[in-house]
Amino acid sequence: MSANALTQHVVTFGRVLREAGLEVGPARLTDALRALDAVDLTSREEVYWALRTTLVTRWEELEPFDRAFAAWFLRAPVRPPLRVAVSAPRQAELARARRSDAGQLPEESGDGEVSLGWSADEWLRGKDFASMTPEEFARARKLMAEVARSRPRRRSRRLRSHARGRELHLRRLARSCLGTGGDPIDLRFRRRIERPRKLVVLCDVSGSMEAYSRALLLFLHALVASGRGVEVFAFGTRLTRLTSELRTRDPEQALERAAASVVDWASGTRIGDSLKAFNDVWGRRALSRGAVIVIVSDGWERQGQALVGPEMARLARAAYAVVWVNPLKGNPEYQPLAGGMRAALPYVDRFIAGHNLASLEQLSSVLAGIERRHAA
Amino acid sequence: MRFSTIDELQEALRATSYLPDAGLSTALFLALTLEKPLLLEGEAGVGKTEAAKSLARATGARLIRLQCYEGLDVAHAVYEWNYARQLLHIRAAQEGTVDEGELYGPEFLIRRPLLEAIESDDPVVLLIDEIDRADDEFEAFLLEILSDFQITIPEIGTVAARRKPAVILTSNRTRELHDALKRRCLFHWIGHPTLEREIEIVTLRVPGVPERLAAEAARFVQGLRGLDLAKPPGVAETIDWTQALAALGQRELDAQVVESTLGSVLKYHEDFELVRDSDLVALVAEARVG
Repeated sequence: MSANALTQHVVTFGRVLREAGLEVGPARLTDALRALDAVDLTSREEVYWALRTTLVTRWEELEPFDRAFAAWFLRAPVRPPLRVAVSAPRQAELARARRSDAGQLPEESGDGEVSLGWSADEWLRGKDFASMTPEEFARARKLMAEVARSRPRRRSRRLRSHARGRELHLRRLARSCLGTGGDPIDLRFRRRIERPRKLVVLCDVSGSMEAYSRALLLFLHALVASGRGVEVFAFGTRLTRLTSELRTRDPEQALERAAASVVDWASGTRIGDSLKAFNDVWGRRALSRGAVIVIVSDGWERQGQALVGPEMARLARAAYAVVWVNPLKGNPEYQPLAGGMRAALPYVDRFIAGHNLASLEQLSSVLAGIERRHAA
Repeated sequence: MRFSTIDELQEALRATSYLPDAGLSTALFLALTLEKPLLLEGEAGVGKTEAAKSLARATGARLIRLQCYEGLDVAHAVYEWNYARQLLHIRAAQEGTVDEGELYGPEFLIRRPLLEAIESDDPVVLLIDEIDRADDEFEAFLLEILSDFQITIPEIGTVAARRKPAVILTSNRTRELHDALKRRCLFHWIGHPTLEREIEIVTLRVPGVPERLAAEAARFVQGLRGLDLAKPPGVAETIDWTQALAALGQRELDAQVVESTLGSVLKYHEDFELVRDSDLVALVAEARVG
């Protein structure tokens, strides 16, 4: 193969990879070509490893890469790429999710009177997400960004200049002594800075949560936008990582992308299995260590209740604190009788509602002031 | 030391008792040939750090290691001024002012691992271990070093590498690394080894181990990885465990000894219980049959 043909080949392969969702820029392709230059081109194995080492940047990309490599270099039958456009049934689900939010108009006649002394926003804060009109929902969405702003914090080991710090800022001191003949006159101090604590949210998007999941996902979108260190997962019957989908600036678009990547939207719930999947894959990578974990779910578990307790215990051991948000708790008569909920409660540090803006505000202040869990 | 083929490098690594598979050998070979940093990811205990150490031994280079931790900053990773000496110097000068340039000369500079690696005249393998433990601001400090092999010290200027060190970064993927950092690195994911390779590794790493014991231990650990464990054991655990078994004078596995030594394979209490209570005898039998 001539050098030029090889270049062509690799560039086209790069395009195939980009279609499969890998980030392959010109710099990576240059590396790939240099790598191919250094290995034996007649060895399929060496070509494979040379391309993989230079074009893949993360574990998640290994599988799409292998498929693309098989399809392109080994001419295997091309299977559909991993990141397909939203399929028809999912489109329908999306539409359904949207409709259900836009659903019934509120019938309570008392609302008008109650709102007399309140501002419109104030009234909106107390309204159940499930009974909001599309207009109200749009207004609520604007308030969410505000609510999502406060985050739990931790002290970093990093130091920064501070007037009331404890540690001498020696670098500054040495410089200032230049002018004073070695006498430390102008003392500068440093102290530890505070950083946002890791925050991991596991959000139930099963059928029983349908009335709330859209509102809660919007809240999570605002949370992800509040800064680094937020990870969001959705679960119904399986666990899906949503962080990158929610990172899109436009909330509507973010929601659409999220809904498209969740295959089990509005299906059943398997809390125990989902927690296990989280612990196995993400917990093992220490994502939960020292993090504040927020679980958003009504606690309805169909099968596998036996798993909920032990998996919650595992999660709680690694976590800094566990918060459970249950929209049903907004009802004063609610009692945590659902099997999954009951099994989980011993490991939950704070149990709060999440059915309206006011309760999300409460969540926000709980998150800001949360302390390390004491009892397991 | 340069290698002209992947096989040559693989042989050299073998000679240091490290057995990389084809993928890792290619990645290391390319890191040396293209002079680019290599990011190694994989489960704990698959030999990420060991790969860097072996590469240093195989190439006859000095290993400079930077262990990352939260709060790691320039003063501990790159350089720091020796403030005590600076202050004494100013004092000692008494009358006659001290020139600023004098105060920020090389004799007052404390070299931390990264600067040491860049300034070294001898070949160096720079291991930046567990980069995911450092906070993400720290990654920004690394960018200049990883792409240009140089360090800028405001008081002195830019220190460029006289000879580019081979750089290995490892990560346990506790968080996603910054794209800018990844863009500068080659990437390789180290998985668990195949059974044959694991037996080979154990035999090489535990000198004098009975052949049968090595095979059974490796097979047993491979069986454990198939179970639903919170923390599946890596090769490092297989080696430790076989060492323990060999020290106890075992020539083969038996359920009783396995149970009493399982602690060096399984590091979580739940995993320990799960294996002990369910299928320990069956697992041992399976490992023995082969």
